[in-house]
Amino acid sequence: MMDGMEDVLPSETNGTKSGRSDTVDLNDSTLQVDISDALSEREKVKFTVHTKTTLPDYAKPEFSVVRQHEEFIWLHDRFDENEDYAGYIIPPPPPRPDFDASREKLQKLGEGEGSMTKEEFSKMKQELEAEYLATFKKTVAMHEVFLTRLAQHTVFRNDHNFKVFLEYEQDLSVRTKNKKEKVEGLFKSFNKSTDEILLAATQKDVDDYFEREKTFLLEYHMAIKDATTKADKMTQAHKSVADSYIQLSSGLSQLGTIEGPRLEKFINKVADTFEKARKVEGRVSSDEDLKLSDTLRYYVRDGSAAKDLLYRRLRCLANYEQANKNLDRARAKNKDVHAPVDVADAELAQQNACEKFEHISNKAKEELNDLKARRVTAFKKNLIELAELELKHAKAQAQLLKSCLQSLPEE
Amino acid sequence: MADSREPPPLFNDDKEDDNDDLFSSAVQSPVSEQTTTPEDQRSPEDPLTPPPPAASLTPEPHNPGTPPDLFESVAEGPVVVQGGSPKLSSVPLDLPAGGNGGEGKQQPTFFPTPLQEVSLEEEGDEPDIFDTMSSPKLQLNQDTSEPPVPPSSILPPMGAPLTPPVVPITPTATPSLTPNITPAAPTPVTPVAVARSSPEQAEGDGGDEFIQITVSDPQKIGDGMSSYMAYKVTTKTNVSYFRKKHWSVMRRFSDFLGLHRKLVEKHLHSGRVIPPAPEKSAIGTTKIKLGSDKNADSGSLDFIERRRAALERYMNRTSTHPTLRADPDFREFVELDAELPRATQTSALSSAGVLRLLNRVGETVNKMTFKMDESDQWFEERTQQIESLDAQLRKLHASMERLVNYRRELALSTAAFAKATAVLSSVEEHSSLSRALHQLSESTERTQTIHHAQADADFYVLSENTKDYIQLISAVKDVFHERVKTFQTWQHAQITLAKKREAKAKAELAGRMDKVQQAQEEVTEWEGKVERSQEEFERISRAIKKEMEQFDVMRVKDFRDMVIKYLEDLMTSQQQIIKVWETFIPEAKAIS
Repeated sequence: MMDGMEDVLPSETNGTKSGRSDTVDLNDSTLQVDISDALSEREKVKFTVHTKTTLPDYAKPEFSVVRQHEEFIWLHDRFDENEDYAGYIIPPPPPRPDFDASREKLQKLGEGEGSMTKEEFSKMKQELEAEYLATFKKTVAMHEVFLTRLAQHTVFRNDHNFKVFLEYEQDLSVRTKNKKEKVEGLFKSFNKSTDEILLAATQKDVDDYFEREKTFLLEYHMAIKDATTKADKMTQAHKSVADSYIQLSSGLSQLGTIEGPRLEKFINKVADTFEKARKVEGRVSSDEDLKLSDTLRYYVRDGSAAKDLLYRRLRCLANYEQANKNLDRARAKNKDVHAPVDVADAELAQQNACEKFEHISNKAKEELNDLKARRVTAFKKNLIELAELELKHAKAQAQLLKSCLQSLPEE
Repeated sequence: MADSREPPPLFNDDKEDDNDDLFSSAVQSPVSEQTTTPEDQRSPEDPLTPPPPAASLTPEPHNPGTPPDLFESVAEGPVVVQGGSPKLSSVPLDLPAGGNGGEGKQQPTFFPTPLQEVSLEEEGDEPDIFDTMSSPKLQLNQDTSEPPVPPSSILPPMGAPLTPPVVPITPTATPSLTPNITPAAPTPVTPVAVARSSPEQAEGDGGDEFIQITVSDPQKIGDGMSSYMAYKVTTKTNVSYFRKKHWSVMRRFSDFLGLHRKLVEKHLHSGRVIPPAPEKSAIGTTKIKLGSDKNADSGSLDFIERRRAALERYMNRTSTHPTLRADPDFREFVELDAELPRATQTSALSSAGVLRLLNRVGETVNKMTFKMDESDQWFEERTQQIESLDAQLRKLHASMERLVNYRRELALSTAAFAKATAVLSSVEEHSSLSRALHQLSESTERTQTIHHAQADADFYVLSENTKDYIQLISAVKDVFHERVKTFQTWQHAQITLAKKREAKAKAELAGRMDKVQQAQEEVTEWEGKVERSQEEFERISRAIKKEMEQFDVMRVKDFRDMVIKYLEDLMTSQQQIIKVWETFIPEAKAIS
């Protein structure tokens, strides 16, 4: 599995998820990060993060550490909370590895074992195992993309936490947030969203560009989220169709044995065809998933991150304006020379706020443009690949059916 | 004893057959048939000689009279019915010469399509023309020796594209009628069935009868609870005993059910398999009754469509069965211009309905309790095979339904996705990406239509036909059960006879002369009954065997056709999908 994954992942991730890799020289060996191995242990997945670097800060030119999902989240949070990075789009964190759906299906299959023939059962089991494997591969890919983006970002790659993440051989002892922290986290995010709404309503942006971007992003985010859910449903339905072919095929073969010589050959050929057709359909479904749904999903998250950026900026702007007001008030209150401190404080605060704001604004502009370009490239690539794959599969199926039809009347 | 309707075994048939033969020979369409005609004529003459069909069911078709070869050769190629017989419609389609079953007329018409022989006149012995599609089993013809029971013809279940491939076979049938059956081969109909040239058309018989029935135009008549759906039943036929060639009548659903009941009453015990009628559905009907015309929602439209298709298949199956077709009730159903008297007994809630229910319960109990001593290996095997076929088909049907449902879901979710993508494309600010997304949305929309159509095909071609088969099989089981009942009667008669004999012996011993006399009479009476019931039993056994042969052939063919059609549909869908994606690719590539 590992070998297969190594082959699959780099191309997958480099190509699909991060459009950036298209534009960045992959041969830039200053800092190369990938996930060379992954193990699934009961509830947890352990990723082996492998780094190759020529940067002097690192102790060794090549090394690996084992990380778990929580540690990735920890890393992301470190970036998120870092005010210096307020002007950047923080790469979205990979989603939690979720094998529940597969596990459930496997369980249901086990329960229904009695009602189907052995071959049917083994075929369905194979399908489920393949599904499980695919989910596994996907989650590895997403973790890898996250790291790659950080590694290739000119600013992020030098982050200290990142270095620790890559290098520190021991466990980072990142404990998952305990209850209290989770509740705190909840509160924080709640506050943040209300704030966001408030700001959106009250704060007028000085810059038209950002105003437009905000509206655009909001709309876009909703639309793409919707599209992602629908795409997911579609791929699911496709998969169910493919799976139901299994039962059809085995039902037919059983019928063949009952029918006896007259129909048996005929039926067996048909059953065989259904079996092959199902494999093709299954692949259609998984390709759709990979190219379409995943792309959409990724850009949902990226869009989310962009929204965060805008929010931060807006907040900064609000702070800046607040600081201005404070300064004015301080100045007004302290006409006399007695309290220059207040004024000075206020001035300082205002200056800081101003700098921050401008810094953020500039960076944000860049990032947003970058995001756009990335998005367009990624979509283009994936849509082309999707269409080509669909075409290939449809042709294969048509061919399969045609040859079956041709061979049938011979009897 | 045997149903009174049937002419006494053998002889009557022969006589009638003779009539047929006369006509048929004249009419003999396929050339080969011509040759066989004389033989055919001969055959009826010696109904007794021909080896009892029972012995060799398969070779049945080869009546002693008719050289098997002829049949075979005839059967082989798509027999072009030549206008040899005026009656034979020269339908160029490969109509298998309908085997005229009928004793007597064995015209080995092998029209690929079931030619139905019309020999209504002869009373139902219609040759077992299984014309349905290729039921080549000629056996019909052969069975002159067969008890008059026309082989239970199992109607072709798969009406293929609905219309029984009735090939316009001018049946030599209607012998009584002047052979002015116009060879009007309803060509239009043929395409359907004809396509299948079943060399083995055993129907043998010159009936180039052709009858095609379409059910269309469902209309809601009336309002509220007393409303009902009426369907237009259009018949195209060249069967002579119908008044016209092409006409239609309006019928309501209960009329169909009433017809079925009557046919069952009349024919089941002679060993024929009566095609099952579509089921009543209280929910669907009520929905329609209560819904107004305007808001026919897709759910009830679907229901109506299913029902219409099922009715059409049912009518065609019934009409392809020569005997059933000749049945006066059937003819009345198809021909009578006015409204048929309400078949009240079919209403689910009437007292008759309750009675029927009780009857059915009784029958089921009977089925379960009486274990027949099966002496005939053949029946033993077949019963088992039927049972396992039944179970397997049910399972298959269930998985087909699942497929249909999933595919419908796929169509729905694809439609939803198409809409979402359209929204996305309108929001997207990058213009070429927006265009591409828009294209994607359209392509997906098109694929959705394709999926939807495929789901429909899944349903109508595969699932409904399989369901029909399952029902047919239960009709077959019914027939088998009839036989068991006959056996029971026979046994019972035997037991009673023994008792009567005993009584007589006792009376003799007691020296009561008067009682003896009476007992003697009873004994004689019961002896007669035993004999008759035994004959009945054997007759029905033979009839069933013949019917089953036909049924098998037909079943096999239909199944193949169904599967082939389905695969073709599937392939077409895939090809359409190919086109869709091919148009999309350049758009995607055009994103700058």
